[in-house]
Amino acid sequence: MDAEQITGMIRASLVELFGLDPARITPEARLADDLEIDSIDAVDLIDHVRRATGRKITAEDFRAVRTVGDLTHAIERIVRS
Amino acid sequence: MRRERYGTSFVDAILPRVNLHARRTSSLDRAWRFIATAICYIEFGIAALALALVVLPLARLVPGSELTRRTRARRAISAGMRGFLRLAVFLGAITQEYEGLERLGRPGQLILANHPTLIDAVIVLAAVPDLCCVAKQALWRNPFTRAAARAAGCVSNSPTDQMIEGAADALRQGQSVIMFPEGTRTMPGQPLQFHRGAAAIAIRAARVVTPVYMSSDPPTLGKHQPWYRIPERRIRFAMRAGSDIDPEPFRRGAPAPLAGREFNRHLLELFTRELARSP
Repeated sequence: MDAEQITGMIRASLVELFGLDPARITPEARLADDLEIDSIDAVDLIDHVRRATGRKITAEDFRAVRTVGDLTHAIERIVRS
Repeated sequence: MRRERYGTSFVDAILPRVNLHARRTSSLDRAWRFIATAICYIEFGIAALALALVVLPLARLVPGSELTRRTRARRAISAGMRGFLRLAVFLGAITQEYEGLERLGRPGQLILANHPTLIDAVIVLAAVPDLCCVAKQALWRNPFTRAAARAAGCVSNSPTDQMIEGAADALRQGQSVIMFPEGTRTMPGQPLQFHRGAAAIAIRAARVVTPVYMSSDPPTLGKHQPWYRIPERRIRFAMRAGSDIDPEPFRRGAPAPLAGREFNRHLLELFTRELARSP
């Protein structure tokens, strides 16, 4: 999975899970403040990413994630490792 | 639906009383209820210590599987709380009413209750002897309550992901789970607010969700009320189990986060309506 595919997967997940307008999903968008994705949603999001990537992912991997861009980088790191 | 009442106190035979729930009672009655309340608090403290220092450690020595031990710890805690409430009724500090208890404690059942008073958890755990309780993280900071919380297999409400996964696992294992979606006691008269965690757990793993409506008349033991402010009448605590809610239709319609939001809205409306109905 390359960076582009990961970005696409995240975009699709956010649209599907939270019914977000794709135009709001920019790398700078803050998950909590701009997209209203809270710690409860994060659990579902992590589940979704886990299924999409087939990797073991824990909430710990996403502690420092604030924006959509951060999320992309965090998943890239996991997929590469 | 079965209704149960516990209200007979030995003081009724001694103190003149026109009507248990008359608007005003004598100052003698109120003075007695102050003493009775103080005795109840002392008993609660002693019983809690005895449970943490003697009963639960002893129970751990008795052989048995993890599951047997957990059930044993839950039953011991439940019995302690029942004893406390019986004392409070006997001394005339409170009366109690239950409705629909026989439908609580089923496998995979998520019980959601509002949280008006200090002793809501005591009332629920006393009534249903084998429950997995989602409790404040503060319980794990005090060594006594931590031991009890561990033995009884409670789930901490923090961090959020562990709460959701812990409670969902308990439900999938066939336990019955109790949660207070308000998260903490809320002020009477304020609009209800539910944290979405409870709805998220319901959507993830509950076979059935049963709302439980708690009330105290007059309102007492709230967040802003010290214990020694004795209400003008004997307190009547009521616990009423509402109709089951099937989470399946919510799940089918939408992905989990959206279904959780919808379910939470449904719960809020339901509780707001039902609590306006009961006293």
